[in-house]
Amino acid sequence: MTKAPQTIPVGAAGTASKSECECKDVCSDQSNELVICRCEEVTRGEILRAIAEGATTLVEIKWRTRAGMGLCQAKTCRRLVAQILAEQTCQPMGEIHPATHRPPVRPVELGVIASAGET
Amino acid sequence: MSADVVVIGGGIIGVCCAYYLAQAGVKVHLVERGCLASGASGACEGNILQWDKPPGIMLQLGMASAALYESLASELPIDFEYVKKGSILVVERSEELDGARRLVQTMQYEGVPCEFLDLRELRELEPNLAEDLAGGAVFPDDAQVQPMLAVFSFAKAAEQMGAVIEPFTPVIGIELSGEKIAAVRTAKGRIATRVVVNATGVWSKEVGAWIGVEVPVLPRKGHIVVTEPVANIVYRKMMEAGYTGTVESDNRGLAVATVVESTASGNILLGSSREIVGIDRTVNPEVIRRIVMRAIRFFPRLAGIHAIRTYAGLRPFTPDHVPIIGESSRVKGFYIATGHEGTGICFGPITGKLISQMITGQQTAVPADELLPARFEDGTRV
Repeated sequence: MTKAPQTIPVGAAGTASKSECECKDVCSDQSNELVICRCEEVTRGEILRAIAEGATTLVEIKWRTRAGMGLCQAKTCRRLVAQILAEQTCQPMGEIHPATHRPPVRPVELGVIASAGET
Repeated sequence: MSADVVVIGGGIIGVCCAYYLAQAGVKVHLVERGCLASGASGACEGNILQWDKPPGIMLQLGMASAALYESLASELPIDFEYVKKGSILVVERSEELDGARRLVQTMQYEGVPCEFLDLRELRELEPNLAEDLAGGAVFPDDAQVQPMLAVFSFAKAAEQMGAVIEPFTPVIGIELSGEKIAAVRTAKGRIATRVVVNATGVWSKEVGAWIGVEVPVLPRKGHIVVTEPVANIVYRKMMEAGYTGTVESDNRGLAVATVVESTASGNILLGSSREIVGIDRTVNPEVIRRIVMRAIRFFPRLAGIHAIRTYAGLRPFTPDHVPIIGESSRVKGFYIATGHEGTGICFGPITGKLISQMITGQQTAVPADELLPARFEDGTRV
């Protein structure tokens, strides 16, 4: 039996300070089975586990869970993962250090890369 | 705060040092300025190879480390995708085949399992290789790991044995008392200690300079291309025969030699490049183009597959192409564990073990005279 999809509050942690982080209570009943990174099928539970293991940045969550390593290179899940990290570490979203952006901006066929610059 | 040993650097070398020191009952505190594996260990492939090691100290280190990895794979707390998939060496031109035959002979003599392959045999093992190649060799005992997971695994195991592992803790200085170590000063406080391990990769030179110790490492930049997940393109770790030439060269200019590595997740990693251009990790599209062109030459099917990411890392390169492992002859208690160039992941465990043995006064697993920093500190070999 599948659960009904749950809505994820957007920008909930925006202005919370460390001592009054209410978003944790709001978000704590989210299902841990919810898929956050759909390219790599990484669940909320796996991301929480990575944070429990010591991940405090998006890069560390990526390396430990593969969230953000898939075809879309975190275009879809970046904000969702950042929200989870923000709520778990009681940081405002704006203070979450972004993961490194690297080329290519979107998938490129290797054959196209190989012939780049040829006329 | 105090510790028996402070390890500076949280890449593969640092965490392996912390692991073996903790295992030996030493109170070890590792400090890393970024997250674990934020240096070369987070921008590399997971090579556990014998085929590319010159006989002598490098092959000895390689064989010892490979044996350690084999048992650690099932002992350490985080799975790091260890797989003994084997390497396949590919020779492009028939004039170069004699080199491969000689390599196989040498390696067999050294006890490394391997076989020369003619073109038909080569393409039986790797059917997607181009048809106009010459032949090669297979090294079935070569293995692969996922490097970041290996780093996290060693770090967690070290912590379970009592090590303190502190990322996001930059070191701002090393305090001396006379000619001995007294403490490590970090942005989060002072750690009193008599022993420091400098495992900071391309930054080892800078860290050594704080206390007047010469550590001759240069950053040798490499690029990697990551493809979308695919299956059945390449089965073993494939490398072109000319790879060792680029490793052993003293040339600072760009050299590209094909390395193709499939992974458990299906992504293929393409490499390799080597150049010395300073501490610069920006991706150079021209280098990427050359890596991709050459990889397609060996595996034509790659042309239709998509690249999804590229990155660059900096290998710590020494003048004699051998790592620096041991106590400085200039400052007592200052151990150096760096200079692994492209063998950091491979030599992580043996380096950690040697450092632990040296610090605790045990006999070293491998004769270590050729690894000691003294060879650069007495001015005879720069």
